[in-house]
Amino acid sequence: MHEASLVRALLTQVGNLLVEHNGEAVEVVRVEMGPLSGVESALVEIAFQQQVGSTPCRGATLKIEEVPLAAVCRDCGDEFNIEHFRFKCIACGSNRVRITHGDEFRLLDVEIRTESPATTQPDFQETQT
Amino acid sequence: MTSVTTTIPVNRDVKAELKRQAEEMRRDFARRGTLVINVLSSPGAGKTSLLEATAKHWTGQRRMAVLVGDLATDRDAQRLAPHCPVEQLTTGGACHLEIPLVQRGLEKLGGEFEFLFIENIGNLVCPASHDLAEHLRVVLLSVTEGDDKPGKYPKMFRTSDAVVISKSDLLPHVPFSVDAAIADARLIQPDLQTFTLCSLTGDGIAEWCRFLNETRDRMIVESAADSSACVLNGAVPQ
Repeated sequence: MHEASLVRALLTQVGNLLVEHNGEAVEVVRVEMGPLSGVESALVEIAFQQQVGSTPCRGATLKIEEVPLAAVCRDCGDEFNIEHFRFKCIACGSNRVRITHGDEFRLLDVEIRTESPATTQPDFQETQT
Repeated sequence: MTSVTTTIPVNRDVKAELKRQAEEMRRDFARRGTLVINVLSSPGAGKTSLLEATAKHWTGQRRMAVLVGDLATDRDAQRLAPHCPVEQLTTGGACHLEIPLVQRGLEKLGGEFEFLFIENIGNLVCPASHDLAEHLRVVLLSVTEGDDKPGKYPKMFRTSDAVVISKSDLLPHVPFSVDAAIADARLIQPDLQTFTLCSLTGDGIAEWCRFLNETRDRMIVESAADSSACVLNGAVPQ
């Protein structure tokens, strides 16, 4: 089970955010996963509960959003959800499809409690794909 | 002072930093002419045997090295040592290899190679999620495992570039259809290259080695084009 090492990486990143934003505590950690993320939500939940208490994020709640496997057809441009791992465009039948969602384990956002309003750092808002 | 809760947007893959690191290493390997191949399968499908057969086929012709991962023992490294430089990566219980472990192995290995094989932990699940800076991800499926396996491990087959059906000498003795296995795998990854071979008899090894050579040649051309594009654009090659 590699969820433990991924949750460790997640908690390190959230801990860094807490320091960067001069926060007192982390209240909520919101993550996204899908059918090809390579992680199981129940195992992520267990790993989080086991590890969070020994990190600066202690007391935080994990919220998991499970998303379907979404794709776009490289031939006709149709956007659709992939069912049963059959990578075929439902509009034109092409098997040249690119996955757009549901194949990553993403940290969406973090709710941090501060004593005064947190300073937002616009340059930090990254949207990598 | 009052407490305020602020939402900090991130929207980033938890492994984003590792992926960036892997991408950088991949480009560096390509510039140095080293094709990196991540070799995956369930335990006992014949990863080490394939690498032994590959090394024997290339004796005196190609410079190859192997980083081999296992939970315990250095048995695979001992098997490969007579044929090529090899470094054993022992994970102590972890079910997959990660970049830092590969980096440590590379430091011990030293030298320059045309082909670097990373033999992953025998496991069709976790290793699929970890980019080891490879140019080629190859999954082995031995005929004794059954031709219904690709559909059961979609992430592994979706993220692979090639599938090697191994132990082909046993085909007359097991109910395994090569066509059915390939068809099932291609429903998940249509671009999969496929090879059917037997490492013990050497059947199919020449074709496999030719594929590796061609892939490396292509990588070198693409890497050179990539570098000159960076220079033309005034950017520093990464």
